[in-house]
Amino acid sequence: MNGKLEYWVKIPIGPIHPALEEPEKFIITLDGERIINVDVKLGYNLRGLEWIAMRRNYIQILYLAERICGICSFSHNHTYSRAVEEMAGIEVPERAEYIRVIIGELERIHSHLLNLGVVGHTIGYDTTLHLSWLARERVMDILEAIGGNRVNYSINTIGGVRRDLEEKHIRAILDMIENYRNEVMPKIEEIFLYDPTVEARLRDAGVIPKRIAIEYSAQGPTARGSGVKKDVRYNEKLSVYPDLGVKPITPKEFTGVVKGDVFDRMVVRVGELWQSMELIERAIDQMPEGKIKAVPKDNTLLFQLKKAEGEGIGRYEAPRGELIHYVMAQKGKDVPAKWKMREPTFPNLFAIARALVGEQVADVPVAIASIDPCLSCTDRVAVVDANTGRKKVLTERDLLRLSIEKTRELNPNVRAKPEVVGVGCPRGGVL
Amino acid sequence: MNVDEFVKAFGERFPEAEIRVSENKMPHPKRRVWVEIDREKFHDAMKFIKELDPKAQFSIIIGMDAGDRLLAKYHMEMFWEEGESLSLVIGTSVPKDDPKLPTVTDVFPSALPYERENQEFLGLFFEGIPDPRRLFLPDDFPEGIYPLRLDETGIKPEMVKNAGHPYKIKKEGSK
Repeated sequence: MNGKLEYWVKIPIGPIHPALEEPEKFIITLDGERIINVDVKLGYNLRGLEWIAMRRNYIQILYLAERICGICSFSHNHTYSRAVEEMAGIEVPERAEYIRVIIGELERIHSHLLNLGVVGHTIGYDTTLHLSWLARERVMDILEAIGGNRVNYSINTIGGVRRDLEEKHIRAILDMIENYRNEVMPKIEEIFLYDPTVEARLRDAGVIPKRIAIEYSAQGPTARGSGVKKDVRYNEKLSVYPDLGVKPITPKEFTGVVKGDVFDRMVVRVGELWQSMELIERAIDQMPEGKIKAVPKDNTLLFQLKKAEGEGIGRYEAPRGELIHYVMAQKGKDVPAKWKMREPTFPNLFAIARALVGEQVADVPVAIASIDPCLSCTDRVAVVDANTGRKKVLTERDLLRLSIEKTRELNPNVRAKPEVVGVGCPRGGVL
Repeated sequence: MNVDEFVKAFGERFPEAEIRVSENKMPHPKRRVWVEIDREKFHDAMKFIKELDPKAQFSIIIGMDAGDRLLAKYHMEMFWEEGESLSLVIGTSVPKDDPKLPTVTDVFPSALPYERENQEFLGLFFEGIPDPRRLFLPDDFPEGIYPLRLDETGIKPEMVKNAGHPYKIKKEGSK
């Protein structure tokens, strides 16, 4: 025991907050302001989906898979369908693949806009939040027009899609892209690429070096922000993506340097917004006419799957990274023997936990928000001194205030008040 | 290295392994390699994969209960820097009365959370795992109960403690 030990403080962040889609708990050990250890505990929202799926048939699992996450609901559904199609050898019509690409990229746009707003909020730039979430409404409206719902649109099915794209949908999508190109993206680029305060705040925060990103299997923008050129759409030759010319995006093409910090992850997201819009336009140009479902009736499909044997893996690049679903068939039953999935946040969490060591506690909200589990809205934090038992509870507002004060320190000209309001969680007349 | 070269190299090093290549009929055909190997050779096989591609990425452990044996399948993504990557599923199985596998965290450090997950849910134990704590289940979850085993009957009533519930659970017969 040396004298230094008394400065060590353990901070549990999490687990429960209404704005989190996956509650998780980070236990952070501090030496003064520096983080010296991060431990992760999961399972606060364990719903036992694998166990539930043991008594659901293939079609019913589609809807279960979609409810894993509300933000990437198409991705889960799509990846599961891909696993079943590989297992049963179902050929998907080409038009259905193009529709899947269009819906998938629309979903990527809305997810990235959401994350850009959340990161802007965590550093105290609420204007960014309002700008990007307002722009996001337009994508949501289009998804609602096509699928019938703002989230969980259930457009995907095994062997194709349920709804065709009509002329009016295509017109609305093209209108939206034009609006984004001319009005939204210049503003977002100005904030995230050229604003000196944002750069000062996001640069060198939560750095994941390339070696760590590979060692910890980081996925998606988290990995590409560290310079790992990895994208399932490109590596797996997924669907019709090779025809559309997809390439992994790294910050090098935009800023010339790769540091692997929060700023680089945001640059990747901005780049992917441009890329998604291009992909949608090309997909609309190249989309052929034809069938949209391999098997028109669900009963026939279930009968066909009942005879299937073997196992299949589906992979897809969800907005946050690589998504994997595995399905093993049971001959003579319409229930799979095993269904297992892995979300991209899972490896990213451990990568960011490793990267937080050595950082300041004020950078925790923005670093965790940058991998997109929306933990920036952490509900409350209890600061417990391990030796004296002294306890202090920091709420989400205190933590955000720390973060905002750091921004103001860097640039005293920022006129935003240090008053903060939680994302999507109005409480006690704050709004 | 493409699929054929990999199958040749792996088959020469581990002649007893079962290697299967599947091809799906997507618009762009994609081949996937499935390997089955014994538990004794499993750790060597993982090391060999790392030798072939030092940047191979570990994705997932799929653990499942197949009657009297427990299966574990590991998905790897290899040669992702060369454009189209090689997707490999390497599987092994252990008898249920001796559910032990060597840990691969010394080869792929990112396997640790998946190994912890399989330990608590399936009762598939990993020898030499650096951090055997629970990851998903609460710390006071009863020992020896593995929720994803097919023959699991669940938590018995006498195992249930008053787990932080604000109201005490009444015992049978009491008022």
